[in-house]
Amino acid sequence: MCIVGVGLSDGPVTPDLSAVMLEAQSFRRALDDAGLEKGDIDGLASAGYGGMHEVALAEYLGLTPTWLESSSVGGSSFEFHAMHAYRAIQNGDAEVVAIVYGNNQLSASGRTLGTGGGGGGGRGAMSLPLPMSYEFPTGLTLVGAYAMAAQRHMYEYGTTAEQLASIAVQTREHAARNPYAMYRDPITVDDVMSSRSVAAPLHKLDCCVISDGGCCVIMTTEERARDLSHRPVFVRGAAGGTTHHSIAAMADMTHTAAAVSGPKAFADAGITPADVDMLAMYDSFTYTVLVVLEDLGFAPKGEGGAFVTDNGGNLRLGGALPTKNDGGGLSATHPGMRGLFLLCEATRQLRGEAGDSQVPGAEIAVAHGSGGWLSTQGTVVLGTEGS
Amino acid sequence: MANTTWEARDWSDVPKWLVPRPTAEDREFWLGAGRGELRIQHCTNCGRYQHYARLLCSHCGKQTVAWVTASGNGTLYSFTVIGQNGVPPFNERVPFVVATVDLDEDGARVIAPMPTLDPADARIGMRVHATYRAAGDEFGFVDFAATR
Repeated sequence: MCIVGVGLSDGPVTPDLSAVMLEAQSFRRALDDAGLEKGDIDGLASAGYGGMHEVALAEYLGLTPTWLESSSVGGSSFEFHAMHAYRAIQNGDAEVVAIVYGNNQLSASGRTLGTGGGGGGGRGAMSLPLPMSYEFPTGLTLVGAYAMAAQRHMYEYGTTAEQLASIAVQTREHAARNPYAMYRDPITVDDVMSSRSVAAPLHKLDCCVISDGGCCVIMTTEERARDLSHRPVFVRGAAGGTTHHSIAAMADMTHTAAAVSGPKAFADAGITPADVDMLAMYDSFTYTVLVVLEDLGFAPKGEGGAFVTDNGGNLRLGGALPTKNDGGGLSATHPGMRGLFLLCEATRQLRGEAGDSQVPGAEIAVAHGSGGWLSTQGTVVLGTEGS
Repeated sequence: MANTTWEARDWSDVPKWLVPRPTAEDREFWLGAGRGELRIQHCTNCGRYQHYARLLCSHCGKQTVAWVTASGNGTLYSFTVIGQNGVPPFNERVPFVVATVDLDEDGARVIAPMPTLDPADARIGMRVHATYRAAGDEFGFVDFAATR
């Protein structure tokens, strides 16, 4: 099973494009990238914030797919889509699957979403579904939920706010090379530490940006891939899982479902963490990166902080594990959910198309999505033909 | 650390839209808080407790849960200091501590604000206890405070 086409919409700020326009634009670009036409597509996967999202999208695009997938598990939805598409293509249930996502979250809602803005106020809190009806009246924010998890990691393992900040600094260094990144000016650990405390211990620069943007990834059989435009990128393994929905139900805030999905996907692919040349990692917050790096096995539990800062910064180009080379959600783009952009970035790296951000000779890349409040984790291992 | 110097705020004002609108499943919790009790569920099969209320025990899966009044005592598992919240009235209360509390009743965990705690004094592992705040005429909210 191969990824044969990737497309990014315009971004990161597109006030004149609606969410579905961003989806359509990235879909068209992915078709062109692959050398396919819409009539080739018989499977469609998407996730939005309402019901029947992928059905409405199929109609908008003029598609009549016979395989539909709408796992809606937050930011990692698209790693789940890729995992399910991989199995469906393997089983012959679908031949050419488009995974599509777009959102004009910045232009539609503004940039205070994670702290209760963007339409959060004025709603009847008690008409929220469980368990949010209990949490909302506490004043907890989305950022605050991640902050509580980060605080616990600091308590148990001595992780420091400076180590978390280093993740933002290294990510910004990557973003500087991406002309489409939202923020490109270099930052320092001091800049992060002195930025506003949104929910201690997380500062403003520990949080992802809010942007507009769309992305599409097209998958098909190896046989079909041979006739298309690019050197195919192979899906080698995939796995996912969930441990909780709301942060209160996260029994151990220092361990995520990535501790299960990672080893399972790596075993499926026949690799170990040491084989991974680059990591397209979901970075909703700096802590997301740190805890998942440990859970995936790139660092022992509790040593994620040292891992990211060692060697002058292991997430940098030239570090032990170049991570989110497009500048990530922390600096480049984060339109509500970012999981699909990870698959796109990993594919571009394995094609050798990543320009200044290229990891030389990359053969194995991992796209790892995290959704909700560290609730869902999805790991997809991608490789070049010989890998 | 918090953006501004902390001072104790008055959390007694509950705007109408924030007043609980209970369902059959959670009504007992909000009513209990209104009369100064932390109501959680106890499983008569496995012996563990849970919050929030569910039809089944989330630990053992049996339909053997019953409402009980918790001691109100617990230990701080983690916390955050909210420095930014765009929703009134919370925007006027920052900075404030929101805590994850492991109740002494095994298996039950509650998220609640700690309006009387100076963020500088918040420590994981500290002992805390429930306090209650009216929300409308018959319901209430559960807060936590440091236990000296």
